[in-house]
Amino acid sequence: MGKIMLSTQDTAIIPREWYNVVPDLPKQLPPPVDRDEKNSSIQLLNQILPKTILKQEFTFQRYTKIPEEVQEIYAQIGRPTPLFRAHGLEKALDYHGKILIKYEGATITGSHKINTAIPQAFYARDEGSTGVVTETGAGQWGTATTVAASLAGITSKIFMVKVSFNQKPLRKEIMELYGGEIVPSPSMETEFGRQLLAKVPEHPGTLGIAISEAVEYALEHDLKYMLGSVFNSVLTHQSVIGLESEKQLEILGEEPDVMIGCVGGGSNFGGFVFPLMKKFKETKIFASTASEVPKFTKGEYKYDYVDTAKTLPSIKMYTLGSDFVPEKIYAGGLRYHGAAPSISMLVNSGRIKSSDVTEDQVIDALKLFARTQGIVAAPESGHAIATAIEYVKANRDSKETILVNVSGHGLLDMSIFQR
Amino acid sequence: MAFLTCQFSRGEILLKPLILYFTADYPSTEILKSFLEAVDPDVVKYVEIGIPESNPLYDGPTIKATHSLALKNYKPNHLAEYTGILGRKGIPAFALSYYEKFNKLGSGYATFLKDAGFSGVIIPDLLTDYSEESDRIIPEIEEIFSFIPFFNPATPDGLINAVSSLTGSWIYYGLQPSTGIDIPFDLEEVSRRILDLLPGREINFGFGIRTTGQIGEILSLGSSGVAIGSLLVQYLNDKDLEGFRKFQESVKEVCASAE
Repeated sequence: MGKIMLSTQDTAIIPREWYNVVPDLPKQLPPPVDRDEKNSSIQLLNQILPKTILKQEFTFQRYTKIPEEVQEIYAQIGRPTPLFRAHGLEKALDYHGKILIKYEGATITGSHKINTAIPQAFYARDEGSTGVVTETGAGQWGTATTVAASLAGITSKIFMVKVSFNQKPLRKEIMELYGGEIVPSPSMETEFGRQLLAKVPEHPGTLGIAISEAVEYALEHDLKYMLGSVFNSVLTHQSVIGLESEKQLEILGEEPDVMIGCVGGGSNFGGFVFPLMKKFKETKIFASTASEVPKFTKGEYKYDYVDTAKTLPSIKMYTLGSDFVPEKIYAGGLRYHGAAPSISMLVNSGRIKSSDVTEDQVIDALKLFARTQGIVAAPESGHAIATAIEYVKANRDSKETILVNVSGHGLLDMSIFQR
Repeated sequence: MAFLTCQFSRGEILLKPLILYFTADYPSTEILKSFLEAVDPDVVKYVEIGIPESNPLYDGPTIKATHSLALKNYKPNHLAEYTGILGRKGIPAFALSYYEKFNKLGSGYATFLKDAGFSGVIIPDLLTDYSEESDRIIPEIEEIFSFIPFFNPATPDGLINAVSSLTGSWIYYGLQPSTGIDIPFDLEEVSRRILDLLPGREINFGFGIRTTGQIGEILSLGSSGVAIGSLLVQYLNDKDLEGFRKFQESVKEVCASAE
C-alpha cells in the first residue's frame, strides 16, 4: 500500500504565518476605488472592519504572523486538514496518474470558511466590538461566523440569501445552535431590503444583496462586518490551506502537475493555489465555476461593485454585474457575481484557466466521489471534482498528479440529490 | 535623521522636504496662480500639477472633486503660466496625468508637457492598468523628460525593481491605495520596504498625509520628501493664502524641531 496521508495529527504542520500573494503577483493589483465623489466607500471600511483586517487588506508583507490564540483555535477546529490520495476515484476513472485531495470538509464546521472567520471574530473582539454581522449564501460562511463569534464571546447576526434559507433549513438550525441570529435576505431589517421587497416581494435574494444588508446593519448598529471572500485579507487567512498542503506534499514526496479548486468569491481557491504557485511555478491551474454563473467565461474584467447596493468600494475583477441574479443552483457559494481581484488578474493573464461546470455534471461528480471515496462533498466542491474528472477523461494517459481542493462537505446540502 | 531632509535658514546644503499637489485650474486659474506665487521655495522642492480628467480613477474623493470643477476651467495654455511662476522661484514642476492622454497622443503628449515647462510626469494608472505598455512608454518619455515612477504598497517587488531601473529620476511612493483616505498602516514597515528595495534613490512619500506631525514622522524614517494634496484643497476652497503660508511655516518648524 502506497503512502496515504489521511491526517497527520501533527499540529506542527499548521502554519505559523499567513501568506499574502500581492507582492508576488506579476502585475500591480488594481486598488479598490471610490465611484462617489462625496462619500468614500473606502473610508467606510474604517467603520465596519477591524483595523487589523484593514491593515492586512492593504499590506505588502508576504507573511503575517498568525496570533497564537488563533493558532490554538486552528488546532481545535481540525487543522491540519487531511491531504490524501484518492485511490478509489483513480480506479473508477481508470486513471494511471494520481489524484490528491486536500479536504477542508474535515474542519468542525465542514468547510474552509472557519479559517478566516476565527481571526476576523477575534480581531473584532480585541478591538472592543460586541458583535459581528455578515451574509451567507450556502450557509457555510454563516456557520463559520457563528462558531467563531461564539468562541470569541461576541454575538453574530447572519443575513442568509433567501433561496438558500428556504433550500437548506438545517443550515439555519445549526447556525442558531452556535448562537447566531439568522435572517433571510432580502429582509425588512434594513432600508435596502425593505426597498427591494417593496418592488419584488418574492425576491430570491443574492449574495450581493445580502452583503449590502449586512454592511448597512453593521453601520446602523455599530457592529463589525465579517468579510466572507473576495477581499485580499480573506485570501491571506485562507493561505493556511495551501501552506499546509505544501508541507503535506513534501511529506508524501509529491509535486502537483495540476491544481483545481472551485471559485465563488475565490477565497478557498486563492488560499489553496497561491502558496503552492510560489513553489510549483509550472503547475497548470484550473478555477472551476458554475455554468449558471459564468463569471470568467462570460463576465467582463473591469471595475465593479462588491455588493448590489454599491455601498462597498468598486474593485477590478471578472464580473457578471453587481445586479446579476443567478439561477437557483444548489451551490449557493458559487452564485456570487464576481471574483477576487488577484484571481481575476491571473485569469485575465492566462496563468489560471477557468472551467464552467453544469449542475448535472456536479451531481454526477458528487455521486462518484461519495461512492469511491466515501465523502459527500459540498455542491461547490463538486465543481472542482467535476473539473478534475473532465481533466482526467481528456488526459487519461498523462499520468499527471492532480491536486484538488475539496473545500467542504455536503452533509447539510443533500437536497441537491432530491431534484 | 530628519534634519538631513530640511533646509534651514543658516544655508546648509540640505534637501527641501515638501512636494505640493494642485489640480490645474482649480478652483480657478487666478486663485491657483496666487497660491503658486505664495509657494515658499525654502521648504517646497517640487510642485505637481494634476491635468484635469473626467475619471481620475485612483484619486480619492477630495481630489476627484477638484478634477470635476477644474475640467470646466481647464485651458492647456494655462500650464505654462503655472510652471513659469514656479520656475522663477527655482522650483521644478511635474505633471500628473493619467495614461489615456499618452494613449491618444503618444510621446507627443510628453513633448507638449515639456514645452509647457514641466520637468517630468507621473502617470498614476500606468503600472496598474497598462503595465504591459510600461517597457515601451517609459523609455520614450525618458527621451523627452523625466518619468517619475509611482509605486504603492500593492506594487510587487519585481515590478518596483524593473520599472525603477528604467529611470534615474525620483520615486513617488503612495503610502495608501488612494489619495485622501485613511487606511491604517504601519508607517515604519511601509517606509522600510521601499527604502530597502531602492537604496540610494530619492523617494518621496504621499497619499493620506494629513498632519505636520505625520510629515515629521515620515521624514524621520528616511523619506526624501513628503507630497501633500488633499490637505491643500481646503485652503484653496477658502482662498486662504494666509493659512497656506502658515502651513508651509509649520513644516519648517517640524524640520527645525526634528533637528
